[in-house]
Formats: sequence, C-alpha cells, structure tokens
Amino acid sequence: MTKSLTPLSREDKASPWVKVQDGVVKYGFLAVTILLFAYFALTEPAFATTASIFAMLKFASVTAILGLGMTFAMVVGGMDMSIGSQAGLAVQMAAMTMVFYNLTGGTAIAVVLVVGLVVGLVNACLIVLCKIPDLLATLAMMFVLQGVKLIPVSGQSVSAGMVLRDGSVAPGKFTAAFLQIDRGTVGPIPVPVLIMLVLAVATWFLLSRTKWGRLMYAVGANPEAARLSGVRVGYYRGLAYVLCSLFASVGGLILVSRIGQGDVSAGSSSLLEAVAVALVGTSVLGAGKPNAWGTLLGALLVGIVLTGLTMKGFQYYYQDTAKGLVLLVALLFSYTMSRKKVRYSPAT
Amino acid sequence: MFSNRQRLAGLVIGVGLVASMAGCSQGGPTASTNSATTATTASAASTVSTAPLPAPFSAGQVHIAIVQNTGQGDYFQQYLNGTKLQSDALGMKLDVYDAQGDNATQASQLDQAIASGVQGIIVRHGYADTLCPGVNKALQQGIKVVIYDVEIQKCSPDAVQTQQSDAKMASLVLDQMLSDVGKSQKVGYVNVLGIAPLDRRNTVWEKYKADDSWDQRFFTGKYTTSSATDTAPMVYSALQANPDVVAIYAPYDELTKGTLSALEQAGMTSKVKVYGADISTADIELMTADGSAWVATGATDPNAIGAAVTRVLALDLAGQLNTKNVEFPPILVTQQMLRDKNIKNMDDLRAAEPALNISDTVSADWIPAVTF
Repeated sequence: MTKSLTPLSREDKASPWVKVQDGVVKYGFLAVTILLFAYFALTEPAFATTASIFAMLKFASVTAILGLGMTFAMVVGGMDMSIGSQAGLAVQMAAMTMVFYNLTGGTAIAVVLVVGLVVGLVNACLIVLCKIPDLLATLAMMFVLQGVKLIPVSGQSVSAGMVLRDGSVAPGKFTAAFLQIDRGTVGPIPVPVLIMLVLAVATWFLLSRTKWGRLMYAVGANPEAARLSGVRVGYYRGLAYVLCSLFASVGGLILVSRIGQGDVSAGSSSLLEAVAVALVGTSVLGAGKPNAWGTLLGALLVGIVLTGLTMKGFQYYYQDTAKGLVLLVALLFSYTMSRKKVRYSPAT
Repeated sequence: MFSNRQRLAGLVIGVGLVASMAGCSQGGPTASTNSATTATTASAASTVSTAPLPAPFSAGQVHIAIVQNTGQGDYFQQYLNGTKLQSDALGMKLDVYDAQGDNATQASQLDQAIASGVQGIIVRHGYADTLCPGVNKALQQGIKVVIYDVEIQKCSPDAVQTQQSDAKMASLVLDQMLSDVGKSQKVGYVNVLGIAPLDRRNTVWEKYKADDSWDQRFFTGKYTTSSATDTAPMVYSALQANPDVVAIYAPYDELTKGTLSALEQAGMTSKVKVYGADISTADIELMTADGSAWVATGATDPNAIGAAVTRVLALDLAGQLNTKNVEFPPILVTQQMLRDKNIKNMDDLRAAEPALNISDTVSADWIPAVTF
C-alpha cells in the first residue's frame, strides 16, 4: 500500500543493500521460525513427532486465541489490559454454572459468551462514551474483574464436590461433553487447535476482506482522518473491544476445560503473552501492523521455542528470557529496520 | 542507501543473535549431559553400587521427565536438585517441564512429556482434576507415573502417590508443644485450609486440640504470594483481642514468619511460644535469633525428597515397587537443639541430622542413593 502511494520513494533506485534489508524485514521472522523448528527437529528426535507437534499446537492455542482478540484492540490503536482477567472470569463462570447450578456444558458455554459480550460492551462504553483512554479503562477493568470473579466463590477454586458457604455440597460437576472442548479430538487434531484455526481464519477474513476490518485499520492509523472521512470511529473502536472480549471468553472456555476446575489463578499470565504474540505478529512478512496470520505465527513460534528449550533441558528462567528476546527481535524487525511506518504505537 | 540508524539496527540485531546463540552453545552441553554442575546448595555424595542393574536400566539410558507446577523459589530448586542428582546417579536422562504456577500450562506440558516418548514421569504438585486425564493417558501407554503431593488416586487409581508425611510432621511438633505448655491452655492457631498439606496438618491439630483440651482463642492466616507479610497484621489483631494465649501453632513456615513478626509488633515475643513447620536456612536464623519465640518445627530436606521420589520412579520402572503410596518421614527440630549443636544453616543441619537424607526410605541394592 505504501509503495503505490509513494512513487518517488527510495526503492525505485534501490541498492542491493536496501533489497537485502527489505528481504530481512519481510522474511526474517519466517526464516527464524523455520530455522528454529528445523534445529530442534534435528537435534531432539522427539520434537517433530506428530504427537509432540499436536501437543505443542494445543499448548499454543489459548495464547493464540487471546492474541487474536488482542489483535482487534491493537488494530484500532488500543490495547485490552483486561484480557487475562476476562479469561479468568470465563473460567469461574463456566465452573460455577456447572458445579454450583448443575447445568449443562452447553449452558455454561452460553453463559460465558454472554458474560464476555457484556464485559466487552462495558469496556467499549468506558472507552468510547466515557472517553477514558484504552489502556487506563481496561487496566481498571482488569482489577475489577480479578476481584469480581472471586466474589461469588469466596475466593476458592470451584471443583466438583466442594462445600458451599451454606454447608451443603455442590451438586454438579464438569460434564464430560464440556471437558471435550480441550480434551477431545477430531481425527488426530485436538479440538482447541481447530478452534484456534477457525478463529484465525475468521479474524483474517474480517480484518482483511471486509469493510469493517479496513475501517478498523483506518481508525487505528488516524482516528481524526477517519472521522473526517465519515467513519463512525466510536462504533469501530467499540466493536474491536467486544470482539476482543469474545475471543478472551473462548480462550477461557478452553482453559477451564483443560484445568477441570474453576482455578482462581487461571488466565493471570495470559495478558502479557497475548500482547507479546500480537506484537510479534506485526513483524511477520513485514506487515508493520497487527494481523491475524502474524499473531498466529507469533504464538506458534513461542510454542516452538518453549517446547524446544524444555526438551533441551533449559529451566524456566531461560524460557522467559527467550520469550523476551523473540519479542525484542520482532520489534527490531518492525520498528527499527522496516522502512514502512509502523501502524501501532500505543503511546500516542 | 542505508541510513546510519538502519546500519545501527542491523548491528544491534546481529550482535543480539550472536549473543543468544552463544547463550545456547554454553547452556546446551551442561543440560544435555545432565552433569552435576547445576547450582547445588548441598554438596552431594552418592554411594557406589555394584549390584547388577535390572531392566530397563540394563538396556541403556532411561529417559524420564518431571512435570512441576512451579519451580520458583529455593524449596523447589532444592527439590529439583535432588531429583537431578539421583537421576544422574542412575544414568537417566531427565527433562524438566515447569508450568510456573499455571495449571493449564501444566496439563499441556504433561501432554508434551508423554508425546516426547519418555519411559517415566514425575508430576509434582497441581490439581488432580487437571492432571488425571494426562496421567491416565500416560499409564495406558505404559509410562510409569509417580505423583508428589497431589490426591491423584481419586481419579487415577493406578498412579503412584507420594508425599511427605504431614501427619507425622504435625504430631512431632504438637507432642513437643504438649510437653512444653501442657494441657488445658489458651492457644492460637494460624493456618489456611483448602491446601492439601495444610489440611492434613489441620486434621492432626484438631485431634490434639480435642485430646489436650486446648482452648483455641483464634484461627487466622492468609495464603497469598506474600503469605508472611499478609498474615502478620491478621495475627496482630488476633493477639490484641486475645493477649492471654501461651502458644501458637502455625504449620507452614511463611505463616510462622508472619506470626513471629506479629508477636514482635505486639511486644509479646517473650510470653508466647510458637510451633511451626518446614525448615530453611532463613528459618534456622529466625529460630536461633536472641529471644526467638519459634521453639520447634518439623523438617524434611527438599533435596532428599526430590531424590527419594526419583528412586520411587526407578523402582517402579524396574517393576520392583510393591506399593502405590509412599510417605517420606520428617524429623523434629527444636530451638534448643539448633543452639546446642551450633547449627546455622541447612548444611549444618544436614551434617548434624543424617536422618534428613531418608536414603534408606525407598531403595534397592542397585540404586546408588545420593546424600546431601
């Protein structure tokens, strides 16, 4: 897009160096991913087995889904700090629906999605109608939700057979069908991996192939210009946060199905991971802006690095370092080396 | 052409990549050869064993994994140290999966460990509901699984369940409390229910409290990421309301620490005796400080437990384990004993109390037991 708009730009008389640089920016991240995969596959025989790859994809699925949600918020130039708390809220809501109220798994899914929708609308209201900056509004919501999810359960993890406040025993349990969300497979493919792929395709389609997506990018790039062109800026920003919340709820459903309990701490580590993979995504194929495939690849790369390092015997503190370095390299690719203007700068 | 800024960026990336690769090349061999160069807080020795190895150890290197809920903190690093050294002594390859406290990650990592083709897995802490599907899958595939401190048998009856004997730890300390303060006294209790080992200690406390007619004046405590700091003000308030207690039982060292600082704040250190649980170098310092109220605790050595769990798995792999439940016994540590023997840290304590090694708890003539 930038190319067509700047006919007299430097690349017309591009030197070989510039071409190399452009190549690095465009394919560097893909190359790093493939090289790392090949390296681990060659040095650790167990790394590239089918079972191991599916386990890795399953591991990456929740991060990828939350990252896709975060991608929407980042496309409109914001960030949703409450995404991890929302996943945690979904975990407690699903657990309560089944364990406290003895309702079916399907009901639990519906409850979680409705709650996600409501939280997304609240975020959208705070940001669009109350004009609170994105980061600050969602930061406040992060704390609110962290507490709110624990109020009805008195701060306890919800598990089948737990004793309730009135001394009776919780009547329900996690239904077998609900547990299939994480534990089931379609053919050889784990269900969460399928959900991840479906949501990635949906995100890509919405952002790149529909009017809504393009207007979201326009709002993120320059809200004032978008407003003057007649775009309903508030509507698109709100829509992004609602979508983000729905994705967070789906991520939460997979988490709670994986844990099999309403774990009080579930989702607490998800925020930074989601931000990180969405940011990594901005550098994939030199996009320079948040995008669905980039986020998905970012989540897979983090999965590859963590699995590979574990098999190589590195302790957890190396893995945090590695995650940080992956993000740093991605940011260098897209902010420092790329000659495109990057379309995401949350500080503004 | 390149601007200076872009050249600089290229340089930064280049240096960064080289540096990270150098990081790999230095870390790799250490980990893959599983040598004992990992940070050891205890110098370990292993007995040389000449007995013939049973299958599958006789057939080549055995590959195992530990899937731990969290490895953060001194206790868990020592535990892992014990596991590594015992696994080295047996010539096994050990992969370490660490979920950093995230239960969903732990479930995924258990899947990854199974997929990586190991012969045995140690699972340390976590929720039974989260771990059972993976544990059952592993058992079905013929992988031996040993669990530490999870009530796994409620949903995976065939898994081997191990834990330190919390009941023994509590009764050792409470026997001491009984002989120090006697029956029918006003006492305080600092504990948090809902956490398996603390629940087990609570069961013993309830029994002693009833048998010895102790009048429990308060029951408080909070389990957080900073339990000691958060518990102290609660105990302080309870002490203000009940200044006549003579002893407090706080069966988890973070809660014991919170209790000590509350007593100090209330100026009651000399009037109340504190009975705790667990041990570390920091705990020993607190117990032996001038005028310390902490008079007794129950102790195990996390290094020794990490090693013992590995021996349980080794025996199971060899088909020589004839039980599904193993408990590791603690010892009683008193302030008096620490002072008399001039014990200042865990190394001194290990030297003074070889029973901490529990090296004969689970063993066989072909297993070189490591001691710390």
